[in-house]
Amino acid sequence: MTSKIIDSVLKNGRTVLTEVESKQLVAEAGIPVVETKLAKTKAEAISISKKLGFPVVLKIVSPDIIHKSDIGGVKLGLANATQAGKAYTEIMAAAKKANKKADIQGISVQKMARPGVEVIMGMSKDAQFGPVLMFGLGGVFVEVLKDVAFRIVPLNKRDASQMIREIKGYPLLEGYRGQEPANINVLEDILLKLSDFVDKNPKIKEMDLNPIFAYKDRALAVDARVILES
Amino acid sequence: MRKLGESVTNKLDRVFNPRSVAVVGDKQALGYMWLKSLSHFQGKVYSVQIDPNELPGIAQLGVKNYLSLNDIPGPVDYVIAAVPRAAAPIIVKDCIQKNVGGVCFFTSGFAETSTEEGIRLQKAITDLAREAGLLVVGPNCVGVYNPRIGLLHNTLQSYGDGGPVGFITQSGTHATLFSLAGPRNGIRLSKSVSYGNAAILDSTDYLEYLKTDEETGIIGMYIEAVKDGRRFFNLLREVAEKKPVLIWRGGESEDGARATASHTGALAQSSIIWQALTRQCGAIKVDNLDEMIDTVKALLHLKPARGNKVGLIAMSGGQSVSIADTFAREGLKVPQLTRKSYQRLSTFFNIIGGSYRNPFDVSSSFLMSENAISNLANMLDVMEQDTNIDCIVLELFTIVSPFSRDLSKPDPLVDTILEFKNTTKKPFLTIVNAVHTETLAIEIRDMLTGKGIPCFPSFERGARALKRLVDFYRFRREQHLN
Repeated sequence: MTSKIIDSVLKNGRTVLTEVESKQLVAEAGIPVVETKLAKTKAEAISISKKLGFPVVLKIVSPDIIHKSDIGGVKLGLANATQAGKAYTEIMAAAKKANKKADIQGISVQKMARPGVEVIMGMSKDAQFGPVLMFGLGGVFVEVLKDVAFRIVPLNKRDASQMIREIKGYPLLEGYRGQEPANINVLEDILLKLSDFVDKNPKIKEMDLNPIFAYKDRALAVDARVILES
Repeated sequence: MRKLGESVTNKLDRVFNPRSVAVVGDKQALGYMWLKSLSHFQGKVYSVQIDPNELPGIAQLGVKNYLSLNDIPGPVDYVIAAVPRAAAPIIVKDCIQKNVGGVCFFTSGFAETSTEEGIRLQKAITDLAREAGLLVVGPNCVGVYNPRIGLLHNTLQSYGDGGPVGFITQSGTHATLFSLAGPRNGIRLSKSVSYGNAAILDSTDYLEYLKTDEETGIIGMYIEAVKDGRRFFNLLREVAEKKPVLIWRGGESEDGARATASHTGALAQSSIIWQALTRQCGAIKVDNLDEMIDTVKALLHLKPARGNKVGLIAMSGGQSVSIADTFAREGLKVPQLTRKSYQRLSTFFNIIGGSYRNPFDVSSSFLMSENAISNLANMLDVMEQDTNIDCIVLELFTIVSPFSRDLSKPDPLVDTILEFKNTTKKPFLTIVNAVHTETLAIEIRDMLTGKGIPCFPSFERGARALKRLVDFYRFRREQHLN
């Protein structure tokens, strides 16, 4: 299996995919991902926003800007065309201020997803065992508490089921204190799709789907980051 | 030219079951440890040594010496080489010419030294051997142990009877320690191998061999790294379905964090991936030699566990609290018994100076009772019949020893425990804490172990071994549901 996105990024001499490219790749893997389009002008940003439906999120798309939020490159909860247009102008100005030489491809526009239980899935390569997958709860659970489980690719159904249940925060997925529970079958299915996809695409070096919003009936990858082998 | 290939397992059979062994370079400075270790070997033993000063010592051992491997008249299946490292390539050439089954290099000073000369020499022997299809065990190791045929690498090792446990280890010391500690713990070995620098054969090759070895039912491994992780992963998954595999990974503290661009990469430390590997394959992770021994012992001598609920019998009030805490801390459950059990207990259990909720405190009903033996038999039977209980643990004392003073004589208490052990359908283990007298504790444990009653030296070690047993059988059940 070859991926057009992977081939074209490598042809451009890059190994880090942009947000839009990363999400296209995630969609190729058959994993539901929030629809994200690239706007190259303010007018485009507004028309895409209208098509996707408000509220929307705008983010800078540049391989040279990694920490987008830190430089003011992300605007959330934009409720109408006026706000979206204003956000476009502000993000462009902020990006140019932060890095004059940055290669700016445009600004990504996506519908703001309804919040769910935040989970993270990811892939990296172990020096001895090759591709491995990670599952955990998003946010502080992964960053501070490191409450994650790993399995070596390829995963089978039992592996997917066990790694989700292995994390300490598992009760949060079951709907803790009246919170909406996550659909575990859907998460297992996504892990298996991810396993299959990275198994067939050895050029992928690292991958984060972070966060994925898990709902009672489905799950949606809201952000993605993909790095290729050089 | 013969190449290494699918026939490795067949070739290894000759190395693990040789009919003739040659030791090259044994010497006084080593105390002739190799030739002495082979004094009970059932096949032919030859010495190869060119130093005239060493010849009288070798002759004294009654071993015929030759000046070259190729001077030996008959075939040689297994060679143990303890030569200076610079001579290693010559020995490999001789082995190829002699068409031996395999050679183990006790010699060290190769790639493990990270020196140019060491790396060069290892590459030299590797290239020669690979080209010719010669099996090399090591270098920098003690090689093969097969007690059934008296193929030893240490004079203290037992021989004669083999058993069902195979052991594969990067470290030679761990091979020796496991083989020495095993028999005292009721663990008899089928075969073990220490493979050192793994120049030609890695742990995966030996695992492949023990997979099909009919004498081996349980496999323990001490590993620091594997050469082909994918092959190891796939094979481990396959083997662990048929035979329990225990993995003790060394060097975890040296696994550093890596510089990566993703959250996933930053968290994927080698020790975490090894843990994932064992869980995924249904192998059992242990962290040290004691845990290796305790868990193998549990697998060998305890019935399969159907759940994680333990019934605990302790000798006193304080110990009953402590044993319950320890088993709960390891993740096992200490539940209430059924109403039926409590009714039965109330007919014979003295609650003045004791209690029987679970854990049992048997001070008054056993230690200080005229009906000690029948009471204990009844208590054990209550646990056996109770549907809330999956596993049974019995503490035995040294401070007030319930056993006869002469442990070599028949003892009704031992008979009672043994009869229960032989009839119970649940995992059952005993624990003898040393407290003030390590000597008596050891005597009691050895006596129980000798009769086939599994005995552990502390609550912690018993609990940890039982937890691993419970997890192992749970994984097996889940595997069969899928």
